[in-house]
Amino acid sequence: MKIIELLKALEGIQTIKSVMLLLNADKKKAIYYVHRLRKAGYVKTSGASNKTRVYHISLENRLQTQSYYDVINRYAPIGINPLEETRIYGKEITPEEAIVFAIKANSVRVIIAALALFRKIRDWALLSRLAKGELKRQVCALYDVAKTIMRVRKMPKRFKNTAAPHKEDKYAYIIPGLSSDNFKGIEKAWKVYLPLNKADLEDYR
Amino acid sequence: MIKIEEQEKILLAISKALKKKAMAYAIGGTAMMFYGLKDATKDIDLVFESEEERDIFKEAAIAAGFESMDAITVYKNKKNRPEMVRTGEVRIDLFVNDIILFRFSGAMKERAKKAYQFGDRLLLKAADPHDIILLKCATDRAKDIEDAFNIIKNMKVDWNIIIEGAENQVKLGKDIALLDLGDFFERINKKEGNTVPARVLDRIYTLLLKQIKAKKKANKKG
Repeated sequence: MKIIELLKALEGIQTIKSVMLLLNADKKKAIYYVHRLRKAGYVKTSGASNKTRVYHISLENRLQTQSYYDVINRYAPIGINPLEETRIYGKEITPEEAIVFAIKANSVRVIIAALALFRKIRDWALLSRLAKGELKRQVCALYDVAKTIMRVRKMPKRFKNTAAPHKEDKYAYIIPGLSSDNFKGIEKAWKVYLPLNKADLEDYR
Repeated sequence: MIKIEEQEKILLAISKALKKKAMAYAIGGTAMMFYGLKDATKDIDLVFESEEERDIFKEAAIAAGFESMDAITVYKNKKNRPEMVRTGEVRIDLFVNDIILFRFSGAMKERAKKAYQFGDRLLLKAADPHDIILLKCATDRAKDIEDAFNIIKNMKVDWNIIIEGAENQVKLGKDIALLDLGDFFERINKKEGNTVPARVLDRIYTLLLKQIKAKKKANKKG
């Protein structure tokens, strides 16, 4: 069986037993098929609770790319499985970049998942460069929301001061049309409409 | 032949030399590698949306060690020849919207959902497998039949998308698109057995007859 056919037939999460069933092969043959895919770089192995080996077979394992959702899912209590995503070669995505991506993603679920990244922000200068104007206010507003439900890294005063809204600034939507019932104080402080309520943050409790 | 790891290194090197952001669509073997349908490709085929973006990319490729190459040596007198750059065994073909006899249409751009970013400045979107098949019929190479067969064998193909794609090409002025597609499918069936269903070939033939009748009518009026 050609490697490409094997990859397509076994793509996903498999065990030896599932490989045997899918390809109608005996145990020895199934192990051999997984070995071939591993040699080509398509396999990552992990262990299940009952000491069974679980094989994650995917083209992406060979490509060694990363996506913003990988970074978000690393820290989020419940992961996101996007339909489409951009895979990135040749650079390490930082939590700072992932937060800016999450805000621009226009999805409540992504924003909720990305709140956990505030625990990992180290380079506030980078975040300040990436988030300009009303985006910076949105970052600060979400930071304050994250602070209510978990311990987060301290935001420098300079960052807060440069983000502070001016009198002439209008309220900005993170997601058009959505505002919060429970975080009115934060919304007022940053002139940003937040697309979440306390009930949406149950996963963090 | 360029393997996927080598392709990655090449595109990363070019992205580092880019002065501005550039976006392109990957077609042919390059796109097939992103779907895991091919292990190596002879060259890297990219389609840009504007000449400006292509020039930016070409400049960066040259800065990264590539040399400009005359497309006549490969594509002879074919229309819509690409700009080409090469280094050693590696060749990159740079098209702008038109790929010899076909146009990379708006619908194809929408279907290209798989995106790969190289560094900070280069974004590639892999053409949808249906469009890869359609674009393959514009060339005469035996390898293309093998590639199309691989796609058909390993992915769930919606024949309607390919046929509609060819019809769309006719509307865009590429008159022989349906003929090329039908001929290509016949050659696949001849080489690999009954891969393309007979109803698909019948439908293409019916559409082709319609096209011929419409053309005759238009010629009479004119």
